[in-house]
Amino acid sequence: MKRKISTIALNIFLLALGVITVYPFIWMLCSSFKQNGEIMALEQHLLPQNFTLENFSNMNAHFNFVRFFGNSILITVVVTVLVMYTSTLCGYVLSKYKFKGRNLLFGFVLSTMMIPWCVTIIPKYSMIQSFGWMDSYKALIIPAMFSGFGIFMMKQHISELPDEILEAARMDGANEFYIFHCIIFPMAKNGIASIAIFQFLWTWEDFLWPYLVINSQEKQLLAVGLKMFNGQYSTDYGALFAATAISILPVLLIYLFFQKQFIAGIAASAVKG
Amino acid sequence: MFRKTHPLQSRSEIVLRDIVVIAMVIFFTVFLIVPIGIAFVGSFHEWNPLSGTYNFLGLENYKEVFTSALFGKSMINTVIFSVVVIIFRVGLGLGIACAINSALIKCKSLYRAIYYMPVVTPMVAVAFVWKFMYNPQIGTINQIFGLDVNWLMNPKTALLAVMIMTIWKDFGYAVVMFMAGLLSLPADAMEAAKVDGASSWQTFRYVTLPLLKPMTLFVVITSIISYIQAYVQILIMTEGGPGTATYLASYIIYDEAFVKYNFGYASALSFVLFVITAVFTWLSFRVSGKQD
Repeated sequence: MKRKISTIALNIFLLALGVITVYPFIWMLCSSFKQNGEIMALEQHLLPQNFTLENFSNMNAHFNFVRFFGNSILITVVVTVLVMYTSTLCGYVLSKYKFKGRNLLFGFVLSTMMIPWCVTIIPKYSMIQSFGWMDSYKALIIPAMFSGFGIFMMKQHISELPDEILEAARMDGANEFYIFHCIIFPMAKNGIASIAIFQFLWTWEDFLWPYLVINSQEKQLLAVGLKMFNGQYSTDYGALFAATAISILPVLLIYLFFQKQFIAGIAASAVKG
Repeated sequence: MFRKTHPLQSRSEIVLRDIVVIAMVIFFTVFLIVPIGIAFVGSFHEWNPLSGTYNFLGLENYKEVFTSALFGKSMINTVIFSVVVIIFRVGLGLGIACAINSALIKCKSLYRAIYYMPVVTPMVAVAFVWKFMYNPQIGTINQIFGLDVNWLMNPKTALLAVMIMTIWKDFGYAVVMFMAGLLSLPADAMEAAKVDGASSWQTFRYVTLPLLKPMTLFVVITSIISYIQAYVQILIMTEGGPGTATYLASYIIYDEAFVKYNFGYASALSFVLFVITAVFTWLSFRVSGKQD
């Protein structure tokens, strides 16, 4: 009996927290199907009273939503894939090869994670100007190619993999490039999935860096567009809700899709770290 | 270069190692060490890229940082913000992780997936939605609870409102971390406690909690580093206002650098903040070490 009561109490507690967690998402989604008059009305209902899809068609009229969304997908996918690859490669070399200065190099990578964004962003901005990379996607991709966090995660993961497999492959005459691409990569997929999701989120949501280095409208990214749209007075709120709802979809979908590997991945690295 | 360090190395290993090490060194030098150097030198200058000024000032920028009332206020806000959010993040995370982990709960991964959703949602989107939910007339929070509070415009509630939103966004991360920590606990320690007749509270207090200390430290330190740098929610929700009630240190840096283009002063602020981050990280290592 006592067990039954605590089961119910515990479930109610977790369910209530779940509702609080999900409510803002549902509210945002419902608002994106409301007319502006209803969004601003003093009497509020969660569900739209006059269901409309107008906001989704209006949103492209206010700012170049489709273009921004496409640009953001392109940049985010390119940066994420690059970071997944470089992190795994560096993690492999730092965990499975023994060489002089290895610990020093890893310690250095670790310390990069503690440097606040604000220390380096101003000089990076002036450097990009002097390289002539302003308004070019080089400025968004090249400075993001390696990630201290990614290298740290992958080093933790790959050092868990047994050396015997590598030695067996070497005995069979496999070279290191084969071992890395065909053995390490598939075996480290949990770690790679967690880096992929974090990196995707960080690149997708960052608006300060693209805002600084990209000037032309047709090259701009979604996060900057949303931020600008959001800052306007007399905003079309319905369209803004619609745009916001769509803007969170890619990250959420990727998370739900790779959830299992992702959770296993971050958990493993932190238990060790 | 291309030298063997032990006899069993193959040629491809040496090539791969050298390519990777050289690439890492070049990348982090160009995009990290050089920028830190430029920022450090710049912090002793009056540096404004719009007017093209770059004049040596000596320690003036740092003097201004330490005498600025706004920076002082923002540091107080940052400390309140970080401490409160971290306490709730760790407390909620630990409590919920233990609750989900208990044998009484089914669908464990469903709860975990739901709590983690806000963590993987862009901050700009979250901050905008919450700003609207806090609206005094049409906002859903006042409507649901029947309150009449102007959350973001009242200096007494504005920081609180931003903290609540941040806790909502971030507690799921701690839940996932502590669940991983709980799963990795040695089963024999739990068995031993049970055999000795420990109550579930005693087991939690004297077995689980000490064993979770490394994970707690990990969550606290990553939180300190990220909250000292938090500014996006301020930028979207309050812009530091009303008055100076929600100015956080990182928001001042954003404002000085990219609204007013005072690069020199913003660099000085950044270094001060960096030192503060390092000190707090070191302190939490020390505090956790002493309890052993």
